[in-house]
Amino acid sequence: MDFSHDTLVAISKSWGLFYMMAFFLGVCAYAFWPRNRTRFDRAKHSILDRDDTPWQR
Amino acid sequence: MLANLTSSERQNALVLAVAVALAGAVMAIAGRADVLGIHGLIVALFGGVVAWLVMASFYAPEPAEDRAASYYDDPIKVGIVLAMAWAVFGMFMGVWVAAQLAWPNLAFDAAWSTFGRLRPTHTTGVIFGFGGNALIATSFHVVQRTSRARLAGQVSPWFVLLGFNLFCVLAVSGYLLGVTQSKEYAEAEWYADIWLVIVWVTYFILYVATIARRKEPHIYVANWYFMAFILVVAILHIVNNLALPVSWGLAKSYTIWPGVQDAMVQWWYGHNAVAFFLTAGFLGMLYYYLPVRAQRPIFSYRLSILSFWGITFFYMWAGSHHLHYTALPHWVQTLGMTFSVMLLVPSWASAGNALLTLNGAWHRVRDDATLRFMMAAAVFYGLSTFEGSFMAIRPVNSLSHYTDWTVGHVHAGALGWVALITFGSLYTLVPSLWKRERMYSAALVELHFWLAIAGTVIYVFAMWNSGIIQGLMWRTYTEEGALAYSFVDSLVAMYPYYIARAFGGLLFLLGALVGCYNIWMTVRAAPAAATRGADAPVVPAAVPGE
Amino acid sequence: MPELFHRKLERSTIGFVIAIIAAASVGGIVEIAPLFTIDETVEEAPDMRVYTPLELAGRNIYVREGCYACHSQMIRTLRDEVERYGPYSLAVESQYDRPMLWGSKRTGPDLARIGGKYSDFWHVAHLNNPRDVVPESNMPAYRWLGRTALKTEDLPLHLAAQKALGVPYTDEMVENAARDAYGQATPDTDFAAGVSERYGDATEVSAFDGVATQLTEMDALVAYLQVLGRLTDAAYRNTAATEQPADPAN
Repeated sequence: MDFSHDTLVAISKSWGLFYMMAFFLGVCAYAFWPRNRTRFDRAKHSILDRDDTPWQR
Repeated sequence: MLANLTSSERQNALVLAVAVALAGAVMAIAGRADVLGIHGLIVALFGGVVAWLVMASFYAPEPAEDRAASYYDDPIKVGIVLAMAWAVFGMFMGVWVAAQLAWPNLAFDAAWSTFGRLRPTHTTGVIFGFGGNALIATSFHVVQRTSRARLAGQVSPWFVLLGFNLFCVLAVSGYLLGVTQSKEYAEAEWYADIWLVIVWVTYFILYVATIARRKEPHIYVANWYFMAFILVVAILHIVNNLALPVSWGLAKSYTIWPGVQDAMVQWWYGHNAVAFFLTAGFLGMLYYYLPVRAQRPIFSYRLSILSFWGITFFYMWAGSHHLHYTALPHWVQTLGMTFSVMLLVPSWASAGNALLTLNGAWHRVRDDATLRFMMAAAVFYGLSTFEGSFMAIRPVNSLSHYTDWTVGHVHAGALGWVALITFGSLYTLVPSLWKRERMYSAALVELHFWLAIAGTVIYVFAMWNSGIIQGLMWRTYTEEGALAYSFVDSLVAMYPYYIARAFGGLLFLLGALVGCYNIWMTVRAAPAAATRGADAPVVPAAVPGE
Repeated sequence: MPELFHRKLERSTIGFVIAIIAAASVGGIVEIAPLFTIDETVEEAPDMRVYTPLELAGRNIYVREGCYACHSQMIRTLRDEVERYGPYSLAVESQYDRPMLWGSKRTGPDLARIGGKYSDFWHVAHLNNPRDVVPESNMPAYRWLGRTALKTEDLPLHLAAQKALGVPYTDEMVENAARDAYGQATPDTDFAAGVSERYGDATEVSAFDGVATQLTEMDALVAYLQVLGRLTDAAYRNTAATEQPADPAN
C-alpha cells in the first residue's frame, strides 16, 4: 500500500479521464437510445395530467 | 395537522419529541459552563414544544379516510410558511450587514451584532432557512405528484422538516453567540452537524422510499435533481465537517483537515453546495413547476437528462477555482478551471431548455408574473453560470478574486436564479395546495416581480462596479513602478456602491414581504377553488393562473 | 444490452442512487485523493513553531468574530500582492491551521503577514475603534474585547485536541497551557519564563493590551495578530518569481 502523491496524481490524470469518457458515452447512449423515446415522451407529458390523487393499488 | 396520524404514529412522534428534549437536557448539563449549555436549552425547549403540541391532540379522533388515496400536504404547507419566514429573516440580515459596510456604527457596539457574526446568519438564513425549507417543501410536493404516490411516512416528513429547522436555529443562534467553525457556508458546530446528518439521512430514506412506490418505471427528471441534491449534500456535509470536539462539554471543535487540505475540502464543499444545494435542487423545481405553470411539456427531455449528468459530473471538479494563485498545487487549480469552463455546456443546456419550453407561450409570460418569475430565473441562471465559468479562468480570477465582483456573482445566482425560481414555484404551488383558484392578488405578484428584478439588477451592477474598480486599483502602478493606491484608497472608492447595494437588497426584501402578505391572504381569504370534503380524496385543483 | 441495463437501473431507485454517487464521487476522488498525500509536496520548514496557547486563544477569537469574512490570509503569487503584503503565502505556513483562514473576500486588507507591522498599542487602539486610527475604515469596533477576561481553564483541552490531530504540542505544553497563556501577557514573571522556554526565545512576551495585571481577549487577539506570518521565515527564503497579472499596467 504505497500511495505516494505522484502515484495518486498519475492515477487521477489517466483513469480519471477514462472514467469521464466512459461515463459520457454511457449517458449519451441512454439519452439517445431509440427505445427510450416513448418513455421520455410519456414522462414529459405526465406532469401535465390533471389528476390530484395517488394511484391506487 | 395531527388529525392525520394514527394513535401509534402519535406515540412515535411523542417519543421522538421527548428524545430530542432529553438530548437537549443532556447537552444543557454537559455544557453548562459553555455556550453549548444555551444550545442544550434551545434543543430541550424545541423538543418540549413539539411534545406539547403532540400531547394537545393526542386523543383526538383518528383519521377515518384511506390515507393512501390522498397526498400528504400538511408538511408541505408548514414548509412553505417556514421558508417565507426564513426569507424575511435572512434577507433582513443581509440588508443589515450590507448597511453596516456603509455605516459601520450600525453594529451598535455590541458583540453579537458585528459584521463577522451577522454575516453567517444572513448566508445560513437565506441558503438553508429559505432555500432549504423551500427545497424540502417542493421536493415533497413534486415527488408525490410525479410518482403518483403518497409520502412513504407519516411522522418522518415532520421529523425532516422540523429537524432541519432546529438545525437552522442552532446554527443561526450559534453565530450570534460566537459559535462557529468559520468554514464558509458550513459554520455550524459539531453537534448541529451531527444532528443534520440524522435529519438528512431520514430525508434521503423517505425520498427514496416514496419514489419506490411509483407505478411508472421511469422516474421523472425533476426527482433526479432532488435526489442528487439530497445525496451529494449529505456526502459534502459529512466530509467537510469531520472534526474533533475539544470536549463533550464545549461547543468548540477543530477540523481534522489542516491548512491546504482544509482549503481544498472547504471549497470542494463550498462550490458543490452551490452546485447541489443552490443549483440541482432548484433545477428540480424548474423542471416541474415551469412546465406545469406554462402548461407545456419541457422542450427536450433528453437535454434535461444530458444536462443532469453533466452537472452532477462536472461540478465536483470545479471547487479549486476558488483557490487560484494560492498555495494549492498548480495542477489542481488548472483542473478546476477547465471543468468550470466545461460546466457552461450543461448549465446553458438547462437554461436554454427552460426558455425553449416557453417558446410559443410568450403571451403568457407577458401576462402572468408567476411564469415571468421562472422565465427571469432561467435567464439569470444562464447569465450567472456564464459569469461563473468566466471568473474561474485564472487571469480573470486574478482580478475578480477577493473583490465584490464575487459577491455580485453569487447574488446574481442567489437572488436572480434561486430566489426567483422559488417565488415562481411557490406562487404556483400555494393556490393548488390550499385549493384556491389563484393567488389572492395578481397585482401583488406583479409588484413583487418588479421589486425583485429592480433589487437584483441594482445589487449586481453595484457589485460589478465596485469589484472591478477594487481589483484594478489594487494592481495599478504609477509610472515609477510603485503601487498607485493604498488599500484604504480602494475602500473609500467602495462606499457609494455599498450604499447602492444595500438599497438593492432592501428592494428585494420588500418584495419578499409583499410575497408573504400575498401568500398569507391567499391562505386566509382567496376564494376556494372547490369545497373540501372532510374525508374524501381531494378534487382536482383548478389550473392556477388560467 | 445497455437498454436492459438502463431499464434495471431505472426500476430500482438504489441503482439510480449508485449512479449519482459514481458520477459525483469521481471529481471528488480525483481532486481530493491526491491531497491526502499533499504533505509530501508541502515545503519543509524546520524552524516553524506551533501557536502558543495565548495565540491559539486569539486565533479562536478571530474565528469566533468571523474576521475571515473580510480579511484573507493568503497572499497570492501575483506581483502587486507581493509588493503590497509581502512574500506570497506557502502551504507550509498554514500546516497547523485548523481551520485554515485563507478567506475569500478582502473588504479589509490581507493579514497573512500583518505580524510585527504595527505596534501592540496600534492594534489595541484600532480594535477599540478602527476609525480612531483609520478614519475611512468600515470595520466594526471591538471595544468589549479589552473588557472581557480570557477563558484559560479550557486551554489544555484545546492543545490536547490539536495534539490528537497531529500538531506537535508536547505533553508539557498541554499541561502548562493555561499558565503559558497568562505568562505570555505578563512579562517579567515566572510564568513568562516558561513561555520562552517552551516556545522559543523569539516568542513575543508582552502586555499586549497595555495592562499587565489582567488577561483579556484583547491580549489574545493582538498576540495572534502579531504572530501572523512569523511562525516560520520559509516564505522569505523562497525565491520563486511571482506571476504577472494579465495586464499589470492597466
